[in-house]
Amino acid sequence: MLAELLLAVVYGLLLLGIHRKVIARIQKRPGPPIWQEVLHILKFSFKTTWVPATASGVLFVGVVIIAIAIWTAALLVVIAGGSLMILFGIYMLHKIVEHGFGLSSGSPYGKFGGVRSVISAASEIPLFVSVSVIALFTGTLMIDEIVAFEGANGPLLLLAPPAAIAMYLVILSKMPFGPFSIVESKELVSGYKTEHFGIWRAGLEVCNGLKTFVLLNAFVLVFIGALPLWLLLLLMLAILVSLSFVCALTPMLSPFDSVTVQMIITGLMLVYAIVVWVMI
Amino acid sequence: MIELEGAPLFTLEFGDILVYFTPYTASLFLLALLFTAIVVLSRPERQVEILFGTDACYAKDTSIEELRFRRFMSIACGLATMGAMVSGDVFDYTLFTALVGVTNVGIVAAVKSRHVQNAAFQYGIVALAGTLPLFGGAAIVVASTGTLSILRLAGGTAPGAPLLAKALLTLGVMGEGMAPFYAAKAEMFRAPGAPYVIMCSLSSLLIFLRVIEVVLVI
Repeated sequence: MLAELLLAVVYGLLLLGIHRKVIARIQKRPGPPIWQEVLHILKFSFKTTWVPATASGVLFVGVVIIAIAIWTAALLVVIAGGSLMILFGIYMLHKIVEHGFGLSSGSPYGKFGGVRSVISAASEIPLFVSVSVIALFTGTLMIDEIVAFEGANGPLLLLAPPAAIAMYLVILSKMPFGPFSIVESKELVSGYKTEHFGIWRAGLEVCNGLKTFVLLNAFVLVFIGALPLWLLLLLMLAILVSLSFVCALTPMLSPFDSVTVQMIITGLMLVYAIVVWVMI
Repeated sequence: MIELEGAPLFTLEFGDILVYFTPYTASLFLLALLFTAIVVLSRPERQVEILFGTDACYAKDTSIEELRFRRFMSIACGLATMGAMVSGDVFDYTLFTALVGVTNVGIVAAVKSRHVQNAAFQYGIVALAGTLPLFGGAAIVVASTGTLSILRLAGGTAPGAPLLAKALLTLGVMGEGMAPFYAAKAEMFRAPGAPYVIMCSLSSLLIFLRVIEVVLVI
């Protein structure tokens, strides 16, 4: 388990580094090296750390531990072939973590990041629709059984492409520098994570690496099926590069537009889920 | 149920009234427990406000009376959320969910800010209105199936709950805590006292996650 956790963190951080690099190259900038996020963790781990005088201390520190814990649990669920329901729950709970990061420091920048996190809750609903459609097609939400179903019937990417698009959009909404990244936009400095620095920021970066790995890994497993490790990692990279293109070519939406677009996507996905339910 | 969230890990039955843990509900319960512990242990943050048009800023303090009341309501909210996570029957689930709605209003009602109290008042009305479909859904479940036990309904030993009951339960939970009424709560989150305010969003989220499980299995 420790080896898988280490692989997930390092590869997830490398993916985030590649994400920044691809965006920079599309925008004709040199960009940081792809291992920049790993360097960030090393740097933050050895920097002076303290808790701001205005912060709610226990919560300020507690959310960092909870963030790492929930995504470690998510990784365990994916590896063990557990229920997609748990993964869905963890994904939604990440909203609370962002919220906790933002509100705990007392900083107005963090607070507005936290409030934006709350109002963009609509971005989670397409994942629910995606999960529902998967359950309708396969009759199960256990990842190992979904993989077995795909072994017999072909990848869900071909059987239910709108559900795959919904999950793709969900991953997009969690990518940094994307059209829906309103919780950490530059007018809020770094949004919900503005006041977390030193070892706390290192912990947050570990969480981000894990989150990226788990979401992309789950996408490949659920919509394409079981693959050899090298092919799995390669496909995760390909999906990430496609996300980077979207992020590089799309401006960050205003909070109002971001929520409106997410609500429209949610509405369309709900219609699709109802159609699938009626037909099956 | 086994196909959706894994086999139950523990079951304690008193007829139709029961408690059970699956990997899914156990995860949600542990999170509610963890955040309730944080509420017990932590003091509220001091929100920093910037004076518009100047470089000056000041930190807001939370008075001891306000802190005590909000902490009490947050702990009550945490307990109600944990109750909703472990309830194995539809009636107790709706009861705890309604309690979550009431305590959420209580958490912010003590804040001496007109904007926050307005938002809390409006949310309170929505939460009250939400109890009607919530309990109506539970009533239809028991009237049409003869049981309130989620395990019996999931196991196929009782007829499945009608779609109307599932829709009413979901609508009720949305009224008690979740989207589309959720956006109105953004005003409430401007209140200082992060650990308490977070209990509002956490409890709303957890009861929403639980109702998804309930409507899928019954």
